[in-house]
Amino acid sequence: MSDRKRIGLGVAAWVLLVTGLHAWLNVNWGVLANDFVAPDQRKLNVAYIPVTCHLACPVTDYISRFSEAGELFIPRMFQGFPEIKEALIADKMQAAFIVAPMAIALKSQGVPIRIVYLGHRYGSAVVVQKDGPVKTFADLKGKIIAIPSRFSDERLIIFRVLKKFGMKPSEVRMVEMAPPDVAGALAAKAIDAFSMGEPYPSQAEIGGFGRVLFHAREYWPDYMSCVLVVREDVIAARPAVVQTLVDGVARSGLWLEEGRPHREHAADFVGRFYYNQNPKILRWALTNPMDRVMYTPLSPRKADFDLVRDLMIETGVLEKKIEFEEYVDTRFAEGAKEQVAWKYEAGTNLAR
Amino acid sequence: MPTKSERFATEPAAEEAATSAGGRLEKIALPLAAAALLLFVWTAAVKLSHTNVFPSPWKVVTGMRQLVGRGVLWQYIYDSLRRVLTGYGLALLVGVPAGLALGWSRNLASAFDPVVQMCRPISPLAWMPLAILWFGVAEAAPIFLIFLGAFFPIVVATMNGVKSVPAIYLQAGRNFGLSAAGVLRRVVLPAALPQVLVGLRLSLGIAWLVVVAAEMIAVDSGLGYLIIDSRNAGKRYDLVVAGMLLIGLIGLGLDVLIRRLEKLESVRWGFIGDAA
Repeated sequence: MSDRKRIGLGVAAWVLLVTGLHAWLNVNWGVLANDFVAPDQRKLNVAYIPVTCHLACPVTDYISRFSEAGELFIPRMFQGFPEIKEALIADKMQAAFIVAPMAIALKSQGVPIRIVYLGHRYGSAVVVQKDGPVKTFADLKGKIIAIPSRFSDERLIIFRVLKKFGMKPSEVRMVEMAPPDVAGALAAKAIDAFSMGEPYPSQAEIGGFGRVLFHAREYWPDYMSCVLVVREDVIAARPAVVQTLVDGVARSGLWLEEGRPHREHAADFVGRFYYNQNPKILRWALTNPMDRVMYTPLSPRKADFDLVRDLMIETGVLEKKIEFEEYVDTRFAEGAKEQVAWKYEAGTNLAR
Repeated sequence: MPTKSERFATEPAAEEAATSAGGRLEKIALPLAAAALLLFVWTAAVKLSHTNVFPSPWKVVTGMRQLVGRGVLWQYIYDSLRRVLTGYGLALLVGVPAGLALGWSRNLASAFDPVVQMCRPISPLAWMPLAILWFGVAEAAPIFLIFLGAFFPIVVATMNGVKSVPAIYLQAGRNFGLSAAGVLRRVVLPAALPQVLVGLRLSLGIAWLVVVAAEMIAVDSGLGYLIIDSRNAGKRYDLVVAGMLLIGLIGLGLDVLIRRLEKLESVRWGFIGDAA
């Protein structure tokens, strides 16, 4: 065989190998096939990150696969909020679970999205080093607190508590970190505290290096942090699809509130098949106690959002006032009111 | 046949005189024309695509003016430069001696070369989680990443520079009665210097390249931080692009400065082809 032939064959074999491996390991064929379906038949891409605030997303996806209608949408996991924001702006994601203040800020900056539903209630906590010097919130003076985003309720709760303790915002240093990084950073004592959604507080508790200083609801009774947003063009063109999505999430919320077995089952399949987290941690977050995170009621309420918006203006992350009606579409929440919990039990492989 | 003095003095001088006027024009006018063309294409692309996300050049300029107005632009530039120069300086202090040792001693090279070659292709980004574990979210973490980015290229360039010193130079040095240290100082170091300088130039580029990644670690100033911060701030892509352009321009400036070192008397012989 000539050298030229040998090199040609080698290159061809290499290209084939790389293409094959790429197709096998990297390409999500379901997502790819979805792009070739007629636009009015296409499934929505729904973005989420691996936190319990977004748990209804994978739960709905998992259970709906056992239902007659099959998978309702395509769940797409991200690791942080900025990436989700960019995918929404670029119309790569048609819907997403994001923190409420980010949804309000994006809408006020002209990104065409609407909040249609909540993702959860409660389920955020401020965690400090277990045997560290911080015993009360006042001890956080001069310390570093990690937050998921400047547009997050986890940041706003810090401001609320600062006020309660008569402290100034400049007395603590808040840094933005991707949620999956904070537990490691706290364990390494790189930060003094973090304000995050579950399961990261649980992870720190189970790991033995963190202690919950307070749960968000202690200072914010009707606390909610993550919401479901949908692009306005999708709402206008395909309201029925949006309704199906919201109905599915509502049914999952009700299913999760039906008791410990459902929550433990959810922790198991979400941890293994979606979040790639130890189910033990999710189980702790979902059952310790049972109302640590709640998945009803999820209809957006004006009073809750006015509070968030005003705190945003007060803390300098929103420039001008924007009204509830401008960034929330309550139609779908209204439509989902009649929904009942999924009829699905572990191991039955049948959902209705 | 021209005499030695003619070859070295008259010919290049005459050539230089003939081309200097045209050369200067080329050196300034051509890059400016290319930049203008790119700006035009950029503006046209933004206009034609009707994008409301990607900023036009003018929006980037307004964004930069806002930064000046807020009084943070100079602070950011200063902080980034300080971090890069600290990390780079440390890499220089540790890397050049390490490279000299590895190039000089066959045993040391056998022992450590595989480790160096293994660590070299690991992106500083991959070190980020470890940097946070070791240094927290304070100033030291980004400096450590910049140090890592610059350290390996410096070590490798110095090592190769020393290795490629012809054996005959070493023998000549010894024949003149130089001790081992003398050979290293008076023969090896000057002979390896041009290659070392090339390594220094490359690694300064890399150190500056790493600044964005390094400043992602919870610092609250710097050009890399400007990019991350604008990204987190919703739809401020004008500031993202402004940060990118500033990093590019300062990188260019640093390169021009370090290239001046290559003109120094003691290393010029290594760059004869370049200098002409």
